[in-house]
Amino acid sequence: MILTVDDSKSMRMLLRNALTQRGYEVVEAEDGVAALEWLRDNSPGLVITDINMPRMDGFGLIEALRGETRWDSTPILVLTTESSNEKKSRARDAGATGWIVKPFDPEKLASAVRRVLH
Amino acid sequence: MQRIDHQEFHIGAGSGIERRVNVLQGTSYVTGKPDIILTTVLGSCIATCLYDPIAHIGGMNHFLLSHPAGLNNSEGAESQRYGVYAMEMLINEMLKAGAVRSRIRAHLYGGANLHSGMKTIGTANIQFAQDFLRDDGIPLIHSHVGGIDARRVDFRAQSGQARCRVVQNVEVLQRKVTPPVSTKGSGDVELF
Repeated sequence: MILTVDDSKSMRMLLRNALTQRGYEVVEAEDGVAALEWLRDNSPGLVITDINMPRMDGFGLIEALRGETRWDSTPILVLTTESSNEKKSRARDAGATGWIVKPFDPEKLASAVRRVLH
Repeated sequence: MQRIDHQEFHIGAGSGIERRVNVLQGTSYVTGKPDIILTTVLGSCIATCLYDPIAHIGGMNHFLLSHPAGLNNSEGAESQRYGVYAMEMLINEMLKAGAVRSRIRAHLYGGANLHSGMKTIGTANIQFAQDFLRDDGIPLIHSHVGGIDARRVDFRAQSGQARCRVVQNVEVLQRKVTPPVSTKGSGDVELF
């Protein structure tokens, strides 16, 4: 199961389509707060998160997850319009597994998902 | 979607100098400055004007999906991804400038079907933009879309005031429909 976190419903729909077509089960959250609420009782194999979101952004979500041993080894891919090295480094330092720049290529995304899940 | 190479014009108006920023196809621009007027000329393209009436932040994008957006074929899906990206870039820049997502309001302009051989391009672009705003919960408070004529839009982003005029015999009428602007680095994957 893959948890996608993005404040744009349109983007979540695109992601859902790309991932379900490749056989993955997808759950959606609209920001970091909603993601953490869902994660209290669930354990996805992968989290794909946007950076710029209201309430709790992607950096906050990554830091919150890496702050708990339960989520130590869960891969987290950042999917964002941001392309600056500064923000990429911040995500890496916070514990992200990878960085993907929007607009995403479904094949490249699927390849990255396969690599981090296996 | 890039935010570079905007053409700027300075004109005298009333109490001070106003600056016109021409938002070209494939770009977006966000500002909270009252002296800036965002302007563009549209054929089949769409310009989305967003503003937050409390933060007094506004912005405009200008994009064209060369195929009807949709998830049922590869070309449509690519257009859909590009369109969502164009909208997200504008929204993100708004949020960075101080806007609050739940307060953002939208205007839509453009989407004319200029050429008889490309009847559906403008309509498909309108449909995409309207669907995006509906799905993302952004109220559409004004639109001037469709038809067969090009438009010039002037948008005072800081106040949310817009003016849209039908124009004829301008360059946009001669312009070919072009594919989506490629975005540097888009889709690249880096695993840490």
